[in-house]
Amino acid sequence: MATRTPGGNPHRKSKEDKVILEHSLELCEKMLKDLENGKRPKLTATKCALDNSIYNSKVGFLTPGSKRVSTELNVSSVKKMSRAVFMLEILLRNIETGNVNTKRELYYISKGEVKHSKNLKALDFGDQDESDSVVDFICEMLECYREEMNCFANDRGGQTYSQNLIVTERMPDGTEAVIDLSQLGTSPFQPKNRPQNLTLKAKKKIDFCLVVESEGTANTLVANGFVKRHNSIVVGAQGVPSNAVRGWVKRIQDQLAVPIYFFGDLDAYTMQNIFRTLKAGSAASLIRNSDFSAPDVRFLGVLPEDIKKYDLNDYPVNERDPQEIRALKKARDALSNDPFFKDKKNKGLSEILHWLINNKRRCEQQAFYSVDPRDPQMAEKIILEKINKGHYV
Amino acid sequence: MAKPTRQITTSSTAEYFSKNLQQVGFSSPTKAVLTTVKEALDNALDACEDHSIAPEINVSVEKIGNGSLKNTDRIKIRVEDNGPGIDPADIAKVFGEYLASSKFGRGRCSRGQQGIGISAATTWAIQTTAKGVTVTTKTMGQKKAVKCLVEVDIKHNKGIIREKETIDWDRPSGTTVEFLIDGRVQLNGEAGLVNYLRGNVLVNPHMSITYTLPDNGTTKIERVTKDVPEIPEAIEPHPHTMKLGEFISHARLFGKIKSGNWLKQGFSRLNDKVIAEIWKSQKLPKALLDKSADGLNEKELSAMYAAIQNAQLMPPSTQSVMSIGEEALSLSIQRLGDVDFFSVISRKPCICDFKPVQIEVAVARLKDRRGESHDEPVQVLRFANRVPLQFDKAACAIVKAITTVNWRSYGIKQPRDALPQGPYIVAVSMVSPFIKFKNASKETIDASDELVDEIRRALMQAGQKLSRHINKESRANDHETKIAHIEQFGPILIDGLVRMTKADEKRRENATEGLRKLLGRDAFESEKALKVAKEQSEALDAKRHRIKMFREEDQEMESREAQKLAAAESEAANESSAEDSDGDVAVVASKAKSTTKKKTTAKTIKKTAKK
Repeated sequence: MATRTPGGNPHRKSKEDKVILEHSLELCEKMLKDLENGKRPKLTATKCALDNSIYNSKVGFLTPGSKRVSTELNVSSVKKMSRAVFMLEILLRNIETGNVNTKRELYYISKGEVKHSKNLKALDFGDQDESDSVVDFICEMLECYREEMNCFANDRGGQTYSQNLIVTERMPDGTEAVIDLSQLGTSPFQPKNRPQNLTLKAKKKIDFCLVVESEGTANTLVANGFVKRHNSIVVGAQGVPSNAVRGWVKRIQDQLAVPIYFFGDLDAYTMQNIFRTLKAGSAASLIRNSDFSAPDVRFLGVLPEDIKKYDLNDYPVNERDPQEIRALKKARDALSNDPFFKDKKNKGLSEILHWLINNKRRCEQQAFYSVDPRDPQMAEKIILEKINKGHYV
Repeated sequence: MAKPTRQITTSSTAEYFSKNLQQVGFSSPTKAVLTTVKEALDNALDACEDHSIAPEINVSVEKIGNGSLKNTDRIKIRVEDNGPGIDPADIAKVFGEYLASSKFGRGRCSRGQQGIGISAATTWAIQTTAKGVTVTTKTMGQKKAVKCLVEVDIKHNKGIIREKETIDWDRPSGTTVEFLIDGRVQLNGEAGLVNYLRGNVLVNPHMSITYTLPDNGTTKIERVTKDVPEIPEAIEPHPHTMKLGEFISHARLFGKIKSGNWLKQGFSRLNDKVIAEIWKSQKLPKALLDKSADGLNEKELSAMYAAIQNAQLMPPSTQSVMSIGEEALSLSIQRLGDVDFFSVISRKPCICDFKPVQIEVAVARLKDRRGESHDEPVQVLRFANRVPLQFDKAACAIVKAITTVNWRSYGIKQPRDALPQGPYIVAVSMVSPFIKFKNASKETIDASDELVDEIRRALMQAGQKLSRHINKESRANDHETKIAHIEQFGPILIDGLVRMTKADEKRRENATEGLRKLLGRDAFESEKALKVAKEQSEALDAKRHRIKMFREEDQEMESREAQKLAAAESEAANESSAEDSDGDVAVVASKAKSTTKKKTTAKTIKKTAKK
């Protein structure tokens, strides 16, 4: 009998769902068997850290090395293991029914379970960090994305505008939804956390895709007619790209094969946290970078040479701001430890980091509006000039 | 027209101090009470130790009404000792004259040094209540005690005696001082009276004390050792600690004596051989050594001074410092409360900044503070020459040393660059004939790098010893949590797995059995670790117990001998009292005074008896 979604529609499990369910049951079965035989069950997961990250420019994103973290059952780990099994049960139930939850909701669901069952009291999570780490551990162990466990984060960023893009979404119940972005008026299209379900089609050949760090600036460009004048897609990233944005840009790269440019601030934080994550993924998400990074993205700017060329207003790094100082320190670390910046192929990007460390100056994307304050299209003109002349890294 | 120049006058020392009492510990009504008790108690203890008497002190602080100053009480402070007593001729000097001291610049580890404190207390009493100090004292040979009121003649820096009378007193010797002052009593807290008295209890294991404080009742604490610390002889100054001016006046003081002899006798670490070497290497004329010390001119003295300063000399001797000792300190620290465990360290005397110094440390955890929040900083007790220091702790060398030790490695909580936390007492005693204080009221020890390092070494040793106990405790906790973990999480884990795999009851039982075996092994491991830690700490306790047993045996033997001696003495005394029934009090008193400091009480009795 098919289970039903909360909406009442019958829930059809996807192939991925079935794999996860199978894999999880195998794991539990093995643990129980080990226990029956007086053997210590062992849970192993891929180590998701920078020291286990490999970067190959041909692959284009950070991939996991051979390091594994394993938890063997003993008196110290029995708590962690019982929590993992407890949370796994909740997550599998969601997959069975097609229900989704955020991490925060999972925290409260687990609290509710504990409240209604006295003998689970010892498992109670003190705060959300504790339950989050158990969810992450399960994902690393099963080598799947959090979204595949039906655990979604808030869909942040990714507002997309285009006159020539049609998106087809496969719904959980097997139906399809077709969205023509040119028909949305001033509203943007915003991808969900599972962009794997989206299929993209161009009505007319699209020349390029522009990912803008500031969603506000992206909106301004579009409001001033950017997508009307140019056959393009404009995406607002809203800071560090969420899974939705990362997966979405990857989808654009794979299905439309258009050049993608990133336009953001010139500072250490943008380079390492925003651009690197968009282009090659992050160390924390090693197991899913393949679907959540777009290696073809180019760094359009702001480039160090743009400051002089366009006489942009830049300013020194505030030495008293701990966040900025941390970013610079991290940049130094990145140059010596991050395989992405160490790779020869990304020399241009690591040179920008060097420039930032040496000059201790930064320049914001909005500084393009200072070039000709009376021309609202000035930023657009510069972006186009840079794309046409190949002024990007 | 220009104003006529004002006449320049000289004022007496007493006048200076009477106007600047805040410099010597009388800066507020609260501090006045504490300083008065402190000065009287310091003097009592110094006097007892000088005559090798085991001190029996009685302190009482009593509120008897409102004070004349705003927000103060009229307070009666009474400190009584069983010391040698004061020669009636000296009473006025001791209590009424500034800078009259038997201890000034002697290079000894006595509590008092300059002879300011008790006279300042008298001045405060006169200033606030218009009444001096009432002294009752009796020396060993006197039949009757002398009771009088002492006041300070500020103008001439002289003590004045009033209302002198002789009274009967039921003890062989001793002194009682009674002050009536305006002040405020602070009992608790770092600057409180209780803290001060408890501090004294810790560093004076040979002292018995009874104290009565307002709203605090009477507390009696017995001595834990009969050994009165032997006070080492003073040493002569080391030439490298002197400045040129001091060097020259030192020469003048010695008068008509060959300068060669002056150097040998007036300084430590200078002997014939060393002097000859200096003279040779610095090419000084030999004739200089034969000249009279007070006949040397400034040029000659400067040349000698420079030569000696350039020479390599042995550091000063460490024999002049005295210690409490690890044993006595361990016994004494248990008088501070219900002590869970403790460690004490008595460092060997050493040289810091060219001065002999000895550091002793005691760290204890109190049972009654165990329930308190562990975020409170530890209680720090600081001592300089066995006097508790209670004010201005932040700048003190001792506190600086405590905060720079990494206590976390010994299992004690400690925020960065701060005092460690928890229910501990950290007591540091520094003894030296020359302590560099930061101020005249002797409240803070100057933090030189060498000194801070020496204190740190002592603290680290004490911390290492202490960590064995803490280790045992954390092992026990560890073991407990591990057992609890198994009992709590084991069934939950199996339940979960059984539910998800839809396994049958049989499999559940097997898995439960398997888990029990697995985790049982772990529990066994942690039990073993606990056992090792326990054994280590028991070995330590056993060692301590053995030492205690030996000690008790020793004491028993000593007391038996003392009884014999006392019996013999009482016989002799009976005989002599018949001969000397109406001897002159004054003569006997002066005899008592002339007895040297190092002679024991018993010897003093014998001498008087023989006479």
